[in-house]
Amino acid sequence: MPGFDFSNHNRNAALHAQGVPLPKATSTGTTIVGCIYDGGVVIAADTRATSGPIVADKNCEKLHYISPHIWCAGAGTAADTEFTTALISSNLELHALSTGRKPRVVTVMTMLKQHLFRYQGHIGAYLVVAGCDPTGSHLFTVHAHGSTDKLPYVTMGSGSLAAMSVFETQWKSGMSRDEAVKLTSDAILAGIFNDLGSGSNVDVCVITQDKTTLMRNYITPNTREHKQRNYRFPRGTTAVLNQKIITRAEISKYVTVHEVEDVAAAAEKMDVDQ
Amino acid sequence: MALRITPSTATASTTASTLGAPSAPGIHDTLRSNLSLTSSSVPSSSSSPTPATTSTHPLETRLAKWRATQDALKMEGLRRTFGMAEPIRRGMELKIAGAGEWRPLCLGGGSAGVHGDVLAGRDCEIGWEDVFTGDETREVPDFHTEMEARFRMNW
Repeated sequence: MPGFDFSNHNRNAALHAQGVPLPKATSTGTTIVGCIYDGGVVIAADTRATSGPIVADKNCEKLHYISPHIWCAGAGTAADTEFTTALISSNLELHALSTGRKPRVVTVMTMLKQHLFRYQGHIGAYLVVAGCDPTGSHLFTVHAHGSTDKLPYVTMGSGSLAAMSVFETQWKSGMSRDEAVKLTSDAILAGIFNDLGSGSNVDVCVITQDKTTLMRNYITPNTREHKQRNYRFPRGTTAVLNQKIITRAEISKYVTVHEVEDVAAAAEKMDVDQ
Repeated sequence: MALRITPSTATASTTASTLGAPSAPGIHDTLRSNLSLTSSSVPSSSSSPTPATTSTHPLETRLAKWRATQDALKMEGLRRTFGMAEPIRRGMELKIAGAGEWRPLCLGGGSAGVHGDVLAGRDCEIGWEDVFTGDETREVPDFHTEMEARFRMNW
């Protein structure tokens, strides 16, 4: 069967009917935000990968490449966001080659929502799409069931409430680049410190008409501190009972020794045609 | 003809009776009946052939019928705009292109082929089915074996 494989579904249903409990859904957590400013758009994400009560990765990357001027921040199932953005990136490149134009952000948004709607939310990809194209800079969110939003500032993931509170109190229209980067990273920091599903560092991606700047680990507020005490034993803690020194001259008593000539230099000499 | 955008939710209304008693109640026995279902399969009519599904998962029938539904919608729109000749012509073109095209299995044969894709307007699309073809573990016959079988030279 090409594509998705459903062959285990009936087996699982039969096992469940026999009394075997269904596997639990794994809880995930993320904070991703995006914000439009004068001349471009900024998206940011935290870097913690949550798998239920376990931090699966302390410094994962949630900002995904779509095209040079369109990037995507992903929440939800990590593999689904990764592969969906990769597939849409390939589709968009084919579309751009077919039309011979720079890809539009609305095209990405439409491709994503049509793709996700077809799978009825079984692909758990919650995305923030941001980018610049000849029609300006755009910011969208796409939910796993295919619904979309278009807003000047957006948040998604379990830390979206904490991040949105920062936007709601501090956002103003017509911000500069530095103000927008500060605001988005503040929103991510609010998610990092107030949401248990989010943590570690802040990744920021600034997209303008001219260039895209990906600032990986822009802020690292949770660097590991040095321990106050050191539990390493100093050298010489274990007493040496006896030692025996074998000199180079008498090593041939233990192993067979061949003196190798310097053949390496001769072998590397290149044969040159006359 | 309806202008459906998404496939209808086909919930099984009848169950097919199985031959013989199952070896263990509830658990599917692949040796007695193949990977298809023991019960509650979606009834398929000759007018709308649905591909065989391996589960009762609602998403699987939806995905299996997705492309057919989209094509039917497109052809119905063309029929209403240009008349019956247009979908017939396109169907004939697709059939001719498909008949004259063959791709060896060692190049991942079996898919629609580039001419069919162009005619269907899918020449710049890639999906999960193109990436995860499902026969990664299968032994693909080499080109000469396939060619000899095609021309019945493997006596």
